Amino acid sequence: MSRESPPSPRGAHTHRPTSGVRWRAWARHHRTMAVDSGRRLLRRPLGSLLTMLAIAIALVLPAGLWLTLDSARLLDAELEESATLTAYLEIGIEEGEAGRIEEALAAQEGVAGTRLITAAEGMAEFQQALGLRDALTRLESNPLPASVVVRPADPDPEAVRKLAETLEGIPGVDEVRLDLAWLERLRHLAELGQRFTLALGVLFGLGVLLVVGNTIRLAVENRRQEIEVVTLIGATHAFVRRPFLYSGAWFGLGGGLLAWGLLTLGSDWLSAPVSALAASYGASFHLPRLGPEGSTILLGCSTLLGWLGAWIAVNRHLAEIRPR
Amino acid sequence: MIAFEHVGKRYGGRFEALANIDFRVRRGEMVFLTGHSGAGKSSLLRLIMRLERPSRGRVRVAGHDIDRLHHSQIPFYRRQIGVVFQDHQLLFDRSIFHNVALPLEIQGVEHREAARRVRASLDKVGLLHREAALPIELSGGEQQRVGIARAVVNKPALLLADEPTGNLDPQLSADIMTLFEDFNRIGTTVMVASHDLALIARLRHRTLRLHDGRLVADEEVA
Repeated sequence: MSRESPPSPRGAHTHRPTSGVRWRAWARHHRTMAVDSGRRLLRRPLGSLLTMLAIAIALVLPAGLWLTLDSARLLDAELEESATLTAYLEIGIEEGEAGRIEEALAAQEGVAGTRLITAAEGMAEFQQALGLRDALTRLESNPLPASVVVRPADPDPEAVRKLAETLEGIPGVDEVRLDLAWLERLRHLAELGQRFTLALGVLFGLGVLLVVGNTIRLAVENRRQEIEVVTLIGATHAFVRRPFLYSGAWFGLGGGLLAWGLLTLGSDWLSAPVSALAASYGASFHLPRLGPEGSTILLGCSTLLGWLGAWIAVNRHLAEIRPR
Repeated sequence: MIAFEHVGKRYGGRFEALANIDFRVRRGEMVFLTGHSGAGKSSLLRLIMRLERPSRGRVRVAGHDIDRLHHSQIPFYRRQIGVVFQDHQLLFDRSIFHNVALPLEIQGVEHREAARRVRASLDKVGLLHREAALPIELSGGEQQRVGIARAVVNKPALLLADEPTGNLDPQLSADIMTLFEDFNRIGTTVMVASHDLALIARLRHRTLRLHDGRLVADEEVA
């Protein structure tokens, strides 16, 4: 419904168009300003590109770290899955006895599976792994104990440690080794990395705000006369702010796209050596690429940061501009 | 239309730009505001435009105490006033047409309607044929007429002009004043600040004379 807005009870009233007309005018102005501010950026291609590049560089580091950590988390889960305990049996236990102890271990609560490695099998594995066939065959007796590899049901380090204590109490078990220390270290490292990335993200996000803010501050300064004139003839703050907010958003989006390109290039460039390195540790690890979701988040965040930087800069500087 | 009630304006707590100004301007009147430079003419106009607030007293425009306007209402208040500046305040990066269209753009007037009103306004000041030109291509007198076209494109109830003929020769100045008289004839309240006493005397309108921030004469012309 179109209606004539009533004159305000106090203050001046002016001839106001109907709300439908006003809404269309508002949308039209948004469209015009979006296009116009985009054109202004294109009119100074080098300057705009440099600003966007600065934004992109600020975004690439935290985004790249975040991506790496994200895939490290997958790796972490995979490792956790493979976390096992090794129960070394007392030396000299016969194979039959070892089988019974394995059954006893398997019956424990919290044990998902077991695999017996007899002393002979252990010796064979050892020889093969070390290539010390000759040296070891000279030994008169097998110095290795039989062992049982236990896969815990709950891979949580605390649960695994408790399970280890229980298993150590079973007769015939000499010692239970859990190679969790390195896993825990890795997890601490991952957490450290996450916090580091978050801190970097916040810092570099502030950097983007500053870059955009400074650029917009110059733009405001360049258009000072225009701002004064339109304020004199009745422009609202929103009207004055609008083109600058769009500029900021464009800068942010451009920076985000550049960052996306840099990340893709960088991950392609690094992927071969990283995969090779991971393979040498027996892990399969590939540098991740930004999926559609990650790309959307990256572009959304950069656009938002650009907009926010412009908003802060414009509000700060509009207050200083008073028509003469 | 305009009422100053014992208005005083101090800057920085010491300099007294205006003191105890008291007058009324009726709707549809044409008034000159005169006085030596620094007498307070511009300060008075700035108070009406709500660029400044009075240090004391009250300024009422169209029945409203404009000191009590909420800052979000000020833009809408200013849209009712057409202002002509001595230095025209045109934007040099856009054509004459777009300069004149600016107030309509701010108010969100639809394009076709805006174009119609811009052309009517340019026609009124005799510059319709120059609508595509840039301000820099125009003479001083022409630029001032563009400023006037922009001030009236919105059909304001009140037209203010601050030294509109400051840099123009006598003939051009007379032409500009004739334009203001034309707008006054169709009902617009007009207030022109000028120190061109000879011209003012010839035009025979009510004249407010300021001296050192005080209103020293209010001369009605029969």
